[in-house]
Amino acid sequence: MTLTAEWRLRPRLRRRELALLIVASLALVAGSASLALTRRYVAGEPLTGGPGLPLANGTALAIYIGGLLTAHGILVLTGRRTDQILLPTVGLLGGISLLLMERLPQDLAGGLGLGTTQLVWLIGSIAVITAIAALVRSDAWLRLYKYTWAAFGVGLLLLTFVAGREINGQRLTLVIGPLSGQPSELLKVILVVFLAGYLSENRALLVEQSTRLGPFRLPPLPYLAPMVAMWAIALSIVVVQRDLGAALLLFAVFLILLYVTTARLSFVVLGLVAFVAGGAVLYQVAPHVRTRIDIWIDPFAASLGAGYQVVQALHAFARGGILGTGLGAGLPDVGGLPPGGIPALHTDFPFAALGEELGLIGVLAILGLYLVVIERGLRIAASAVDDFRAILAAGLSLVIGVQAFIIAAGNLKLIPLTGITLPFISYGGSSLLTNGLVVGLLIALSDRGAEPPPPPTASRGVRRLMDRGAP
Amino acid sequence: MLGGTAPGNAVRPAPRPGIGATLGRIGIAMSIAFGALAAAAGYWQVWRASELSSAPDDAAVVAAGRNVVRGEITDRDGKRLAWSVDDENGEPYRKYLSRSISGVVGYASRLYGTAGLERAYDAELTGVTSADPVQELLKKLRSNPSDPQAMRTTLSATLQGAAVKALGGDSGAVVMLDPRTGEVLVLASTPVYDASAIANPATAKVTFQALRADPSQPFLPRATQGQYVPGSVFKIVTAIAALGSGAVNPETTFKQQPGAERGGLLVSGFRIRDGNHPKTGTRALNFVEATEVSCNIWFALAGLETGGDRLAEWAGRLGFGAPLPFDLPTAVSQVTGGGGDAPGGFKDAVELANAAYGQAETLVTPLQMALVASTVANGGILMQPHLVQAFTGRAGTRTVAPEVWRRVLPSAVAGEIAAAMVEAVQGDLGRAYTTGARVSGMTVAGKSGTAELGGTGAPNSWFIGFAPAENPEIVIAVVVERGGRGAERAAPIAGTLLKAWKAWAGR
Repeated sequence: MTLTAEWRLRPRLRRRELALLIVASLALVAGSASLALTRRYVAGEPLTGGPGLPLANGTALAIYIGGLLTAHGILVLTGRRTDQILLPTVGLLGGISLLLMERLPQDLAGGLGLGTTQLVWLIGSIAVITAIAALVRSDAWLRLYKYTWAAFGVGLLLLTFVAGREINGQRLTLVIGPLSGQPSELLKVILVVFLAGYLSENRALLVEQSTRLGPFRLPPLPYLAPMVAMWAIALSIVVVQRDLGAALLLFAVFLILLYVTTARLSFVVLGLVAFVAGGAVLYQVAPHVRTRIDIWIDPFAASLGAGYQVVQALHAFARGGILGTGLGAGLPDVGGLPPGGIPALHTDFPFAALGEELGLIGVLAILGLYLVVIERGLRIAASAVDDFRAILAAGLSLVIGVQAFIIAAGNLKLIPLTGITLPFISYGGSSLLTNGLVVGLLIALSDRGAEPPPPPTASRGVRRLMDRGAP
Repeated sequence: MLGGTAPGNAVRPAPRPGIGATLGRIGIAMSIAFGALAAAAGYWQVWRASELSSAPDDAAVVAAGRNVVRGEITDRDGKRLAWSVDDENGEPYRKYLSRSISGVVGYASRLYGTAGLERAYDAELTGVTSADPVQELLKKLRSNPSDPQAMRTTLSATLQGAAVKALGGDSGAVVMLDPRTGEVLVLASTPVYDASAIANPATAKVTFQALRADPSQPFLPRATQGQYVPGSVFKIVTAIAALGSGAVNPETTFKQQPGAERGGLLVSGFRIRDGNHPKTGTRALNFVEATEVSCNIWFALAGLETGGDRLAEWAGRLGFGAPLPFDLPTAVSQVTGGGGDAPGGFKDAVELANAAYGQAETLVTPLQMALVASTVANGGILMQPHLVQAFTGRAGTRTVAPEVWRRVLPSAVAGEIAAAMVEAVQGDLGRAYTTGARVSGMTVAGKSGTAELGGTGAPNSWFIGFAPAENPEIVIAVVVERGGRGAERAAPIAGTLLKAWKAWAGR
């Protein structure tokens, strides 16, 4: 077999994906029509009349749906037997985002305006998904260079620490020439890749050897180092970047993957204890951490001060009720004087805005879509051919799931609010492109006919164990 | 072999027992986490929805308040208390009947938000929420979703005006309510302010800033949020606890009481003193006589007999210790500052003995004391106090029905206390204290109070009571800050207002 044969087009129909994409598209068209009618109503124009179906910015929606269908077409042409659920699922989430950004005040983003800019990033995200789902066939580039990736990630983090631009008291944004982005978004993918490599390689050791510390079984001491490092990285993100969300996400994904690999609940408990202890110390010494936690405990105590965002978000959920006000009929943008609009609505509180306009029903649907992403990822992990791919797939889907949980729970006052994006819904290029990367990798990993993994590259320790077990 | 191996023959580098199981467990854990999110969303969007979305801070309520013509507020006779007019730009602003209603109706201003009833019922008056849940659902389908409700209150503008006039230049409060229904007819606080000038955009800023800087605190709604030392009017609370719990009966006398009138009552080394009661001599007083002459020693002993835990418990039944269930926010009335080791949160027996006649750490709101009198007047049944009779919108009228809040006392015990309160006003022994509260042609029951504030300043002057004593229809509570003895200021004000009520009600 030659390289060219590998790349020959062998189209394979993806009926399930197509059907789901059509359903998602119809839902989005309905949403757009609802938004358009609300706008006519508010402007006092007649609701009926005019050619065709009234749509709020039909062009943007057409481009978006066209993008999804093109992605579908490319996946059909490449003919791989990959997952057909993920693309429509995140496609629907992205479409909801497009409608929401179309509906919010456009001046929240400069240049092209909020809706159009988000459309550009969404198309970019779909392109990333498609390219990776279609082209990535080998995982060797991820598997073999895990320490390179780790070094790259740490370097990126340090660069942000040093050269990051501070916005709203958080040093998250790295600006290089005309490009700017939030490296912590990319960092979560790098972390999962590294952990998949590291944990799969050392799994046998982590499971079979352990040090006893009182009632706890610790991992063997040499392997404890990465955990301590991870904990330190998470806390340094909190302190230096003031980015509680990213720290929580990275640490949670780390603990979950550790559990997936070792099935040792004691490691998770230990990690949580360390995290809570670190948090308790930070509560005492770091004012921004204390503010967040105080707001969480009682936002209404400072409903016009520090708790304003959270209180307004809860009001928005309450106004939505069960059925919602309908797209365009909510009040996320009553600007100017307080009380009114929610600051950072398009990045940190889109869930609250959707809660108001789509109601509890819409909230449950969105939560369901994220659960689908998690379920698909875990399913891909369960049927992966080896530990690396299993941990990678689980980690990638959990990055999206846990991130969605952290910000949604923050919006709903279930946990302290942390400024982190809601995957595929929040405004922002870094987030959309990175999550596109995640979903693209998941689809590629789901390939049931992919080339086999490269020969084992197990560490010396594992090889010794295997050799011992071999006859 | 470039990609030549079939997937089935893939080399598996390590056995991996259990990873499927842990993945399953992670899946379950994530489902639970997202279930918690769904539950939290349900909590805010269903359980807490109506409370939050009709709160005065809600963005929808605020937005509506800026351009909606608010519903009218009327008194119980249909007289307009608050209505809207247009300014030169065609934007509506509020006008109010008079200054006398400022402490209860409050204001609605585009610049300074809302206060009083305007604040409490902002959502209804602007029509953001409908009183009727079905209308609330249908509202989304109608062409104009806003449905401002007109609000008919239980207030009487006539009596409210009379109350503010009677308080005159003093700071103080008057509460008058119907003990049979809990309808509040008067909720007056002085000094008053000009709410129309706050609502009018042309004069809002100057007026508001001057009022906020005023040291006499006109923005404090004293009737509901003023906290006062009660003095002797608290003896009615002690009586309710002591007789209600059976610790004493109306015939109970304390043989050490006459002697203590002269030498003071020794409680745990602390001497409680009392003015002497010339007409009773050295006789040991029973409950009615002790109430009539307002004997501190008798009530201190009755309080000790009852015990701190029972006194606090019975006061709690009357509404002490928590905000009252009322249309407006209320300050919490307390029997004791709490935190003490003795039963009921008292520090010791001395505090309990002092509290029993209304000194010590006892603090009350005028509305709370009106509820105490209301309980006695209504045969032991405490009706829930309320300020609104009905809301009327496009969807029709929703009336607010009277509700029993608590059944505090058996009617026989309430009758015994009522009889003592009649003697306190009408009897010979009480003459010196409460003559001013008498109204010709009507039996008045009541109790005056002189709350010592420490220092050299004049005491707060109190009166609580009800009339007609045989079949009570109106309860009154009066407090005048630094007004002197109860008999000097509060009792005559109560007499004047009960007279005004008699004329107004045609009794």
